Amino acid sequence: MTVLLELRGVSKTFAGNRVLKDVDFDVRPGEVHALMGENGAGKSTLIKIISGVHAPDDGGIIRVAGTEYKAMTSRTAARGGIATVYQELLLFPELSVAENIFLGHAPRTPLGSLDWSLMRRRGRQLLDSLDSHDLDVDAKVGTLSVANRQRVEIAKALSQNARVLIMDEPTAALADADVRRLMVVVKRLRERGVGIIYVSHKLPEVFELADRVTVLRDGALIGTNPIAEVTEQSLVAMMVGRDIAQLFPKPVPNIGEVVLRVKGLSFGDRVRNISFELRRGEILGIAGLVGSGRTELALTVFGITPATAGTIELDGRTISITSPRQARDLGIAYVPEDRGLQGLVRPMSIAQNVSMAALHRVTNGLFMRFAAEISLAAEAIARLGIRTRGPEQIVGQLSGGNQQKVVLGKWLATNPRILIMDEPTRGIDVGAKSEIHALMGKLAQEGMAIVMISSELPEVLGMADRVLVMNGGTSVATIDRANASPETVGAAMTLAGQSVEMAQ
Amino acid sequence: MTWRKLLRHETILALLSVLALIVLASQSDKFFTVDNLLNQGRLMTEVGLIAIIMTFVIITGGIDLSVGSILGLVAILLGVFWKNLGLPLPIAIGLGLLVGTLAGLINGIIITRFRVPPLIATLGTLALYRGIAEGISEARSVRGYPDWFFVLGQGQFLGVPVQLWILGAVTLVAAIILGMTVWGRGVYAVGHNETAARYSGLQVDRIKLAIYSASGFAAALAAVIFVSRVSTTRSDMGTGIELDAITAVVLGGTSIFGGRGTIIGTVLGLILIQALKNGLSLAGIKSDGTIVLIGAVLILTILLSNLFHRNGNR
Repeated sequence: MTVLLELRGVSKTFAGNRVLKDVDFDVRPGEVHALMGENGAGKSTLIKIISGVHAPDDGGIIRVAGTEYKAMTSRTAARGGIATVYQELLLFPELSVAENIFLGHAPRTPLGSLDWSLMRRRGRQLLDSLDSHDLDVDAKVGTLSVANRQRVEIAKALSQNARVLIMDEPTAALADADVRRLMVVVKRLRERGVGIIYVSHKLPEVFELADRVTVLRDGALIGTNPIAEVTEQSLVAMMVGRDIAQLFPKPVPNIGEVVLRVKGLSFGDRVRNISFELRRGEILGIAGLVGSGRTELALTVFGITPATAGTIELDGRTISITSPRQARDLGIAYVPEDRGLQGLVRPMSIAQNVSMAALHRVTNGLFMRFAAEISLAAEAIARLGIRTRGPEQIVGQLSGGNQQKVVLGKWLATNPRILIMDEPTRGIDVGAKSEIHALMGKLAQEGMAIVMISSELPEVLGMADRVLVMNGGTSVATIDRANASPETVGAAMTLAGQSVEMAQ
Repeated sequence: MTWRKLLRHETILALLSVLALIVLASQSDKFFTVDNLLNQGRLMTEVGLIAIIMTFVIITGGIDLSVGSILGLVAILLGVFWKNLGLPLPIAIGLGLLVGTLAGLINGIIITRFRVPPLIATLGTLALYRGIAEGISEARSVRGYPDWFFVLGQGQFLGVPVQLWILGAVTLVAAIILGMTVWGRGVYAVGHNETAARYSGLQVDRIKLAIYSASGFAAALAAVIFVSRVSTTRSDMGTGIELDAITAVVLGGTSIFGGRGTIIGTVLGLILIQALKNGLSLAGIKSDGTIVLIGAVLILTILLSNLFHRNGNR
């Protein structure tokens, strides 16, 4: 059988960082080829190379329908019949469904004006072929649900005679019923001979749809296998790797009394009825996919989005936390997920950032004590090993890892007892990563109670004493370190359908 | 690093001011006299008071367009409280200041509680407050204030106009608060990154409420001095003063995007603008020409400062 699309030895380097290493990949007509890997594994980069957004490094070959390219452009991708349905749907909300489908290639009358009736008729046919008889071609796209917008995107791709359709986490924002409808559509497209690249972390979907699966890890190709030759366990193991023990040298924990007890905590329907205990010296890992409610849980405990139900006990005393200031005063610190937006004031200096949550320590009640501020920053620089010219350097000039250390330094300056770290090592290099892990271990040993939220399974498994797995806003499992493995935690994270039932 | 950047802008401004003073002094021998300069200080006070607090507003990334209308409203109310309601003048003044502060607080509440962008919120209250002022005054003016009241706008203390002392005191306090206190640090943090400030436990909304209230208070204080200076009350007082104040603040190096700016810069901006206005009119240039020149100076200064700023970073 001919191959629709083939990549040989494709690499990509961003600013000296090799994010894709010598990857081979192909798509055949009438197959669903699942592309899997953790966040940052290189899936998005690969997709963007195929669709012509990024040009690969020299040396690789891309073959589309027999023609060889060094790099795709959006034009050659379109000519080769490659279309992409992105996670964030790129439609025009003020235009109708038909207008969106045919934007840029609308049918014309012999006089050269738009042929509206043909456009509506063909739009109707396309939607019918996707089993979307209920979708009105004259409706404004802005009024449609996410699932319907996605169908419009797919129809748009088909209207350009797409032979390779890339779907980037198509079910991430969909409800269960819509996921099933989407699967029907995908199967229909496969029957028509379209080759589909299906990016997803959700194992059940992959097993239901895919013919073959390719796994990437840290930019390298781990393997391409027919779906019959893999199991859930082996797939997770391929995605995560095995060398966890060597990567995370964790000191022997010294776990003490319960510091924080959360009972039935809820925030709207994003955090539902969560209960857990956190002990002195313990690292509690919170695992779950993006959107599982992990960050929302942290924001609720930290007072950004105060709880709508449930109780929080600190040292056995019931408290209510309604603002970050209050959380801070109670000894709770939160190192947020989005460093640039929530964690740092980038245009300000290290000293000004480090003192920001602990300004009471650098004032005499009326005026700033600038010398005290500088020495507070110097302390953080020494303690965390921040590589910098000095406390007065602007934070925005530091590398990602050093910026993260500044955020950590800011919160350690408040002398917290409970430290919540949300994606503590996202987007930072391997060296800084292991320094932060070592520091986390040390802080826990010194008696700090740590909650660590992470999308990276190895990190969770390597650092946490206990793992709380979240899915759909609820906690689906709590697993001890001894029993935590890629299989157990990974399965609890991804078993989408069962989570709700288990919680109910 | 930050200090060097800020000083750089202010150095340019200071040099420009000195240059303007020299040129203007050579154009007219009336310009560089103690009497004229003190008189210019008198004229600068109302804009100055508003601009000093506007500096805080703009550093937080906001703007307050309603200050001119608050000035007009308070001026009218001063007349109404004193003449129509027969209250003693000191109490009328106190009430006027209170109303101005409340008007500012309302701006703050609209901005923080209802998340209306400051530009739109204060554009709305600009119309609202001016409309109320005109409704109350019905185009009548109030005159005949007692003599002691004119000390504020026309008198002298130790040879210096009384209102200049007030402006000096407000400036000094504002500079200390902004540059040397924890609260001032919070203002800068909010301006650079409001989310991070909130996540760090700073009380972002309270900082903003306080600043917009202070802005209303400054406009009200300016209104009292204005009335005292011109001996009469009219509802169109202060029309357009917000733009003069914003010009001075921005000329002074405060970033309209928030996070950067100093009181010293604003003072230099005020002085440069007032010197140009006065010096050019003494040199016989018409007022439209003066406006054109002020516009050009504003753009030129920002350009120069951006140029140095960029070079400094690379």
